[in-house]
Amino acid sequence: MELPFVFLISYLILSCFAASCHGVTFSSLQKTLIVSASSPLGHDLKAGKDELTIKWEFNQTFPPGTDSSYKTVKLKLCYAPESQKDRPWRKTVDNLKKDKTCQHLIVARPYNPSNNSFTWTVERDIPSAKFFVRVYAYDGQEVAVGYGQNTDHSKTVGLFSVHAITGRHASIDVASACFSLFSVGSLAGFFYLERRKGKVSEYK
Amino acid sequence: MPEIEGSPGTSMHGVTGREPVLAFSVASPMVPTDTTAKFKLPVDSEHKAKVFKLFSLANPHMLTFHLSWLSFFTTFVSTFAASPLVPIIRDNLNLTKSDIGNAGVASVSGSIFSRLVMGAVCDMLGPRYGCAFLIMLSAPTVFCMSFVENASGYIAVRFMIGFSLATFVSCQYWMSTMFNGKIIGLVNGTAAGWGNMGGGATQLLMPVLFEVIKKAGATPFTAWRIAFFIPGWLNVIMGILVLTLGQDLPDGNLGALQKKGDVAKDKFGKVLWYAVTNYRTWIFVLLYGYSMGVELTIDNVIAEYFYDRFDLKLHLAGIIAATFGMANIVARPFGGFTSDFMAKRFGMRGRLWNLWLLQTAGGIFCLCLGLVNSLPLAITFMILFSIGAQAACGATFGIIPFISRRSLGIISGMTGAGGNFGSGLTQLVFFANASFSTANGLSYMGIMIICCTLPVTLVHFPQWGSMFLPPSKDNVKGSEEHYYVSEWTEEEKLKGMHLGGLKFAENSRSERGGMVASVSTPNVTPNHV
Repeated sequence: MELPFVFLISYLILSCFAASCHGVTFSSLQKTLIVSASSPLGHDLKAGKDELTIKWEFNQTFPPGTDSSYKTVKLKLCYAPESQKDRPWRKTVDNLKKDKTCQHLIVARPYNPSNNSFTWTVERDIPSAKFFVRVYAYDGQEVAVGYGQNTDHSKTVGLFSVHAITGRHASIDVASACFSLFSVGSLAGFFYLERRKGKVSEYK
Repeated sequence: MPEIEGSPGTSMHGVTGREPVLAFSVASPMVPTDTTAKFKLPVDSEHKAKVFKLFSLANPHMLTFHLSWLSFFTTFVSTFAASPLVPIIRDNLNLTKSDIGNAGVASVSGSIFSRLVMGAVCDMLGPRYGCAFLIMLSAPTVFCMSFVENASGYIAVRFMIGFSLATFVSCQYWMSTMFNGKIIGLVNGTAAGWGNMGGGATQLLMPVLFEVIKKAGATPFTAWRIAFFIPGWLNVIMGILVLTLGQDLPDGNLGALQKKGDVAKDKFGKVLWYAVTNYRTWIFVLLYGYSMGVELTIDNVIAEYFYDRFDLKLHLAGIIAATFGMANIVARPFGGFTSDFMAKRFGMRGRLWNLWLLQTAGGIFCLCLGLVNSLPLAITFMILFSIGAQAACGATFGIIPFISRRSLGIISGMTGAGGNFGSGLTQLVFFANASFSTANGLSYMGIMIICCTLPVTLVHFPQWGSMFLPPSKDNVKGSEEHYYVSEWTEEEKLKGMHLGGLKFAENSRSERGGMVASVSTPNVTPNHV
């Protein structure tokens, strides 16, 4: 009788502690990669249509061997502070596990110190917002060990504006209108028919 | 005894102080069975069912029950359909936290007014058309979600869809035309609880629909729009079922209902006056705002909370959120049951303590829910919170029938509106503001629940006492008769309008607790309720 109770309490207490384990923090990472992003259309991109070309390489001013643990890189589209305002689900937090700044993965690649380039068509599920590009470098255990981004520390230059698709389609609009008319029409029809039946039976 | 068809509160008349929440049937000596009627269930002289057979589809009584609660369930599904999809919708429409919060407020505000109007609509058109009109006219508003492109459109559509929550009134009204007054408490409680489950079911349904439509090839920003067609069709299908299979009265005669409805001898003004001037009404309006109101708020915010705070996938967040609303299937009747259980021993004082305990416990668990960082703990506290809040809803309606006999209908309606109002206010203050995180909002809401439940200590019945005070020792003032008959003026007493109140008072003596049996009811001919 007592044992399950003790088990439950210790489970609940351990759950508390499990949640407080920390991961890698962003401030501990060095900006060892130089990243640039460009588009032939300038800084306004349309989701689903326009392309972004991203180039990245190791910053040679860092001592050689800094990138010895780098195995893979992930390119991510990240929200600029302007697009994080009033939207706590995009908040920047130092603990990378909890950080919500970079929610869209562009591509993952094996690491090369130089000569890297990737052209990406902005996907259709990217929302309307201002973005910058960040590249994270990971070691063999998938732990972040370095980064680079195409903007400065305050994240205000080099930003791209994405204009999202609406998600609306003419066919959906038409279907919506048809079903609405059907609903109202069948209600009106029932009402009218029953009233008429009522009047007829009154006359009888 | 002059019972007036169609007058305010008649739908709740016949609900005496005696029936326990779990009264499944009424025995024959109490209410005589009409043996000439050819219905599948035993009926009284007005052909209202005396028995509540849950798993039957007997026409018309049980069929009406199922049509009725399913319609109410459907409107809950439609009203809260957006909530589990907010993580997608907020990106598509570029919403801010205040937009999302305001939309949540809008979704519950519309029905404050529509519920007040719905009673009159049911009087005019009958509950069958009242229900059908509401759900079939709100189906276009659900389909309109596919057109929405920005925050204002989103808020407007959620507001319009929210009007459909008035099916609560048509549901309860319809039950009262089909079921005898002595079992109407259980019938209405079950219908209300099962309808509320729709708020949970939708958290499960919409993410699944979204995933399926996405797998079929749609992009996320299109998939959620298509997903809304399902609640829309549910509205239309239920409307058609109600129109084709339903009937207003056991004998199917809408005309008779309308005829009786013209003769309203009890003045609406008087009934409203006695509701409004009874301070207990306002305490319960506040309290219900923090049991039902909190439930509606959680239906709106919880899926997004689990998605963001614990980084869950959309459908997983939906499953967890659904367990909150689905708990209604047992939690709400449980609250009524504990209320009756406490009343047997301790009378009305037991009912009040029961309500305070359940609702405060809910508040404490809500406070904890916002504080914890681990997923298993959050789920545990959410479930405990749901049981507390929903049981409190059930317990509230275990006390409401005793506040007034004359104005019962209006007090029930005002309490219901208080639930929506509390929800709108809470969402506005704690969840529409970027300055509070949702987690903090939940904790503050928990504190608010605890504080707003304290006024129940002030509810005092001279004949039964309150939480801390015993009943009045005065022989006259401390009698049930004095309390219930004081709602009628001398003039009205001369006309005999107070006789129903007297009978109710006799029956309510069981609220003194200590296993006091009620005085046996004199053999009176059944009311024309």
